[in-house]
Amino acid sequence: MILILLLSIPALASALISRCRKREMAEGIHLSASILSLVTAGVVAAWIWSGQAVIQLSLLRADALSAFMAAIITFVGAIAGIYAVGYMRLESDKSPFPRVRLFYTLFQLFVFTMLLAVTTDNLGLMWVAIEGTTLATVFLVNFHDTHTGLEAAYKYLMISSVGIALAFMGTVLVYYAAATEVGEIGLSWTALIAIAARLDPNVVKLAFLFILIGYGTKAGLAPMHTWLPDAHSEAPAPISALMSGVLLNVGFYALIRFKAVTDISVGPAFSSTWLMRFGLLSLGLAAAFLVSQRNYKRMLAYSSVEHTGIVALGLGFGGYWGIVGALLHMLNHALSKSMLFILSGSILLKYRTTEIRGIRGLLKAAPWTGAAFLCGIIALLGLPPFGLFMSEFMIFRAGFETQSAAYPVTGIALIALAFAGMLGSVNSMLYGRPSGELDSGDPLRWPIAPVALNVILLAGLGLTFPDAVRTFFDQVLKVVGMPL
Amino acid sequence: VSFARLANFLSFLFLLMSFLLIVRNSLAAQVRMFAVQSGVLAVLAAVVAYFGARWELFSVALVIAIIKVIVIPSVLTRAVSKIGIQRAVAPYLGASAALGICALLVVVAFYAMAPVTSSNRLPTADGIPLAFAGVLIGLFTTVNRRRALTQILGFLMLENSIFMVALLATYGVPLIVEMGVFLDVLVAVLILEVFVYRIKENFDSIDVKQMGALRG
Repeated sequence: MILILLLSIPALASALISRCRKREMAEGIHLSASILSLVTAGVVAAWIWSGQAVIQLSLLRADALSAFMAAIITFVGAIAGIYAVGYMRLESDKSPFPRVRLFYTLFQLFVFTMLLAVTTDNLGLMWVAIEGTTLATVFLVNFHDTHTGLEAAYKYLMISSVGIALAFMGTVLVYYAAATEVGEIGLSWTALIAIAARLDPNVVKLAFLFILIGYGTKAGLAPMHTWLPDAHSEAPAPISALMSGVLLNVGFYALIRFKAVTDISVGPAFSSTWLMRFGLLSLGLAAAFLVSQRNYKRMLAYSSVEHTGIVALGLGFGGYWGIVGALLHMLNHALSKSMLFILSGSILLKYRTTEIRGIRGLLKAAPWTGAAFLCGIIALLGLPPFGLFMSEFMIFRAGFETQSAAYPVTGIALIALAFAGMLGSVNSMLYGRPSGELDSGDPLRWPIAPVALNVILLAGLGLTFPDAVRTFFDQVLKVVGMPL
Repeated sequence: VSFARLANFLSFLFLLMSFLLIVRNSLAAQVRMFAVQSGVLAVLAAVVAYFGARWELFSVALVIAIIKVIVIPSVLTRAVSKIGIQRAVAPYLGASAALGICALLVVVAFYAMAPVTSSNRLPTADGIPLAFAGVLIGLFTTVNRRRALTQILGFLMLENSIFMVALLATYGVPLIVEMGVFLDVLVAVLILEVFVYRIKENFDSIDVKQMGALRG
């Protein structure tokens, strides 16, 4: 029942908003739906944390991994949702109401498709939902209706659709391997896990490669990442926050589900090797583009490719710390990147440019925005006291334990390169003297207040790893078949 | 007529359409190739439904016929006449080079599908590599072509081929999934159509190479 509630909140909100006639009405429904979704997902996570392993209702099913994802989606959804109201008031104050209404309608639809993807047991339905995320966001990417926005949106739709079609090919192959054993229910993930040891390993290997390329496209793994910097930099800030913060994680969620099946069928070495290759390639490409980046939204987007690579490395390294590190890194990246994209919206509204060169003295010109941006960047660069430092530490510790040193050493070197590249750009944005004609003050105040929560959570995850959190991660690990 | 032969013949026809898409240069003809290919897919679904006693596949055949033979081709034909561009511009690779690559892809498909065909006892198994070759050729076409419309057709043929593989290898995926996929594809095509118009308006061309502002 609670799963139906969880899904129907954003679905209903989306439908209601599309019928609204007043702006305040649309904003009200949007805000209350965003908060209610977060509360409901919190209840789901609490139930599962307190011992109920699985909540199931025919095609819908939530275990610890689903609850983890739903919590991230709705949390970032709420933070970005609150900001969206302020952002849209300032940015599209004069644009006609139907456009604003379309924005909120698609926002909620986007949240709905992501929640459906992580709470269904049927891998085919999950595919439909993940393709749905692309369809819900494509107009949002082109929301500003510019030449570059159009280019980004077309590329995004084309590359994601082709990529995800390959994931469907992989899904069909898995279904083929399973259907000979169990018939029609072969697309149910629970049924698949149960019979994974009896699946034809050669078919599973082929299927996993298709899945990795397909969902890897959605997760932003190089070399299938080419749509990402365009789409994430062209979309309005609240949408970029959701796309970079959580949509990439939904791609990983699908990969983790299939990896669990593949590892039982053909042993963990196969998926792990491929994940490490794609991970290192993503890190390398991202580092190269971060060094010479001139646009701060694109810089944040390439940094997402970098962190996608780190998560893939963690999953590839495996072992207890590799998987826990990867999951934690997904959470940490969601918290820091969503916050930074939100703040990038405020920076854009203030300076009216996306060029790094055009931003000077952010800490003076917009003190709250600047301070929060600084915290987010420190977290994103993997510095203590924030969570990304911890999760990267866990991942590379696993790397040295389980793999030959070449992989973790290369990974760390590339992260250092990316670090140096970003630091230079950010430094020049934050410090210095703002140009004279800019009046001082933050463009938006209350809408960015909630990012304080992101900072607190990031610091919490960086300084401690409480038993309660650890128990929850242990439950997630049990779901993906990791012996504790 | 035996089931196996019929399935084989249809798979062959299906792949032929993928090849024809590569050589034809008129956009309207390319759309027709896609419609014919979808027709072949629909017939195969009906054949599998009849011989394999999977009655729900008749409804799948009907939906394919409506969406992919009638609705999507007419949407695309309308787009072709509206934007007033009849011919596809030169692809990155010319027709003969492209044909060579596609022939190679067929060989690759036979190798790649060996684990599936060798263990498959269904009478339709022989057609699987041909359908899978369609997947690879569809992928190649989307990468090789520069016109937005032809890229869309390449994507649609890729999608068709995956359905073909599913039909031949396991008599199709569960109904709810197929319907969900049809819905997604239909919406994707409708959105892409809007984009084709906007690209034409903004860039005065549907050559995707014109769009190159976003780099680095």
